[in-house]
Amino acid sequence: MVEIVFLAPFIIGIIAFFLPKEISRRLLVGIGAIHLLLSLLLWKNRPEAIFKSYFAVTPEGLLSLLVISLLFFLISIYTVAYLKESEIQHENIFTGSMILFLSTMTMVTLSDHIMVMWIAIEATTLASAPLIYTHRSAASLEATWKYVLICSVGIAMALLGSVLITLSMDIGNVDAPLSFSALVIVAKTLDPMWLKAGFVFILVGYGTKMGLAPMHTWLPDAHSEAPSPASALLSGVLLNCAYLGIFKTNKIMHAAGLNDFSGTILIVFGLMSILAAATFILKQNEYKRMLAYSSIENMGIIAVGTGIGGIAAYGAVICMIHHSLIKSSLFLSSGNILLGYGDRFIKNTGDMVTRMPKTFVAFFSGFAGISGFPPFGIFIGELFIIVGAFKTGHYIAAGIFILSLCVIFAGFANQVMKISFDDSDSNKIIGLKEKASMVWPQYILLLTSLILCFYMPDTLYQTIIDAVTAIGGGFK
Amino acid sequence: MILHPVDTILSLVLLSVLFSFGSSRLPGLIKVIAFQGIIVSMVPFFIGHDMTAGGVVFTVATLLIRGIIIPMSIYVAIKKVAIKREVEPIIGFHASMLCGLGLIVAATYISRQLNIPFISNYTLLFPTAIALLATGMFLLIARRNAIAMVLGYIMMENGIYLIGTTISVRARHIVEFGILLDVLAGVMIMAIILQNIKRTFDDVDTANLRTLKE
Repeated sequence: MVEIVFLAPFIIGIIAFFLPKEISRRLLVGIGAIHLLLSLLLWKNRPEAIFKSYFAVTPEGLLSLLVISLLFFLISIYTVAYLKESEIQHENIFTGSMILFLSTMTMVTLSDHIMVMWIAIEATTLASAPLIYTHRSAASLEATWKYVLICSVGIAMALLGSVLITLSMDIGNVDAPLSFSALVIVAKTLDPMWLKAGFVFILVGYGTKMGLAPMHTWLPDAHSEAPSPASALLSGVLLNCAYLGIFKTNKIMHAAGLNDFSGTILIVFGLMSILAAATFILKQNEYKRMLAYSSIENMGIIAVGTGIGGIAAYGAVICMIHHSLIKSSLFLSSGNILLGYGDRFIKNTGDMVTRMPKTFVAFFSGFAGISGFPPFGIFIGELFIIVGAFKTGHYIAAGIFILSLCVIFAGFANQVMKISFDDSDSNKIIGLKEKASMVWPQYILLLTSLILCFYMPDTLYQTIIDAVTAIGGGFK
Repeated sequence: MILHPVDTILSLVLLSVLFSFGSSRLPGLIKVIAFQGIIVSMVPFFIGHDMTAGGVVFTVATLLIRGIIIPMSIYVAIKKVAIKREVEPIIGFHASMLCGLGLIVAATYISRQLNIPFISNYTLLFPTAIALLATGMFLLIARRNAIAMVLGYIMMENGIYLIGTTISVRARHIVEFGILLDVLAGVMIMAIILQNIKRTFDDVDTANLRTLKE
């Protein structure tokens, strides 16, 4: 009964549109808890789906699902407090869309059929569009327009890519279901030319959604205009969902022996994203946009790691998990900063260390984690990727990679120092009491990331290894 | 060479593609989209796959959604907010027409080169699909009016649908229908955003949407 994990939030999400806002707030936390429980059950039992040709439980899907569940639960606790502090019109649309968004993302992680995957990823775009337009300002309208149009057009490319893969089956005279797991088995008999063409279109399509440069232009707008809990979801888990589409297609490419081709393209797109992030992060004057560019950087890192393969692919998955944990905590903290200072520009903040000490702790340690300081997990992931790059002789790629990381660290650190320690206008009143429910979710996210570096449960480790072995990753 | 019936109706689609390059008014462009939607969803009837009862139902549903509901909802969106009827081109109409001609020639050339075995009987099928895709892209890039951009997106989807239903019989109808619903919902959301753009900026010129940068 795998399907219930996304059907339950789907039904409750629709109901939430019509309930009074007090109840739908409670519903948000409730469904978060239920979803987390269901995901853990799925981890434990790994049941088969009812519609076997459309859905399946895969290692990479389970990893993303657990991240989604955990993040959504913690974010929903934060959201309740956030909604009390901020004035949002039509709050029901916000909470309802959040729950629907959870449902669609869960569907992405469980889908096995190529076209169902497409449907689910397009559905995430549609469910999250109302979240970005929550504030109903001209800027948020522009961000929503860009988001829906660019992502829909991008994902249309992925649909074309999926169609081309079916063509590669027809030409290769393959009779198999159109699912990722079946295609991996028959990959060798697929027509290589059309398979390659399909992969390129799928990479461009889902890459748009994942925020790979040069298709990333919607991402900073959408992530900065959405309310902070929604930004945390968009950045923390939605990008992973798009990556999952690429990851699964890459599995077919690996099984067909075309991983050199797909790897090279992934590395090129990944490096472009890291470079684009490095260029724009240096002169950012809004903190939420800065975090958004950092997401583009991390997606680039993950793409590079996946492209290199071997130990670097393991590093990429580690980076993916820890990026989700740390970046969502950063976005939640940025929500506190926004509520506290009432301003989105870095120059109008400052002296956070004395004025909002609890948020400062979360924000600053999040910054340390995301820029790759030990003992946080991104450090380990990036280390694996760099070692993998040297081992496989990708010296130029490794050079660009390390250089860009340094530039991004410098730019990021500069802005964080300004927010944390610069003198601010002391007459300015901080409009936020730092309640426990508005800082503890961040602490828990960061602690989880920290604990995972020192102690990783065996089943988690084994699932990661199972996932990356299929794209030629691991420690051999 | 005898022209297959599919080619005959597809030649009309190709002409409508040319027309959409030159059309300056939105209602005309919407009619073109509706026409293409109807033709494209009729093509499966003419191509030699066996049609089950379920297949017929789904094809008719596709025809209704692609040919009538989607264009109508865009048309209603225009009417409701009394949007200006010009497409506001970035590239002029004469240049656009020339682009269109070049594009159709290129599409024909490319599909000759690719030589896909299953559809070699239908001379115009692949060129038309590529032309629809590329024209949709062109409208997205070369028109500033937000509605013209949405129409470009729908045209792209039509092109993909034409390739998808004809070269491959694998995508079961239920899945095709899911894709269709996604596109429909996407267009609906775009229509809502359009109305809000109109309310906020009193225009749907995307030049207004340039405040968020870097």
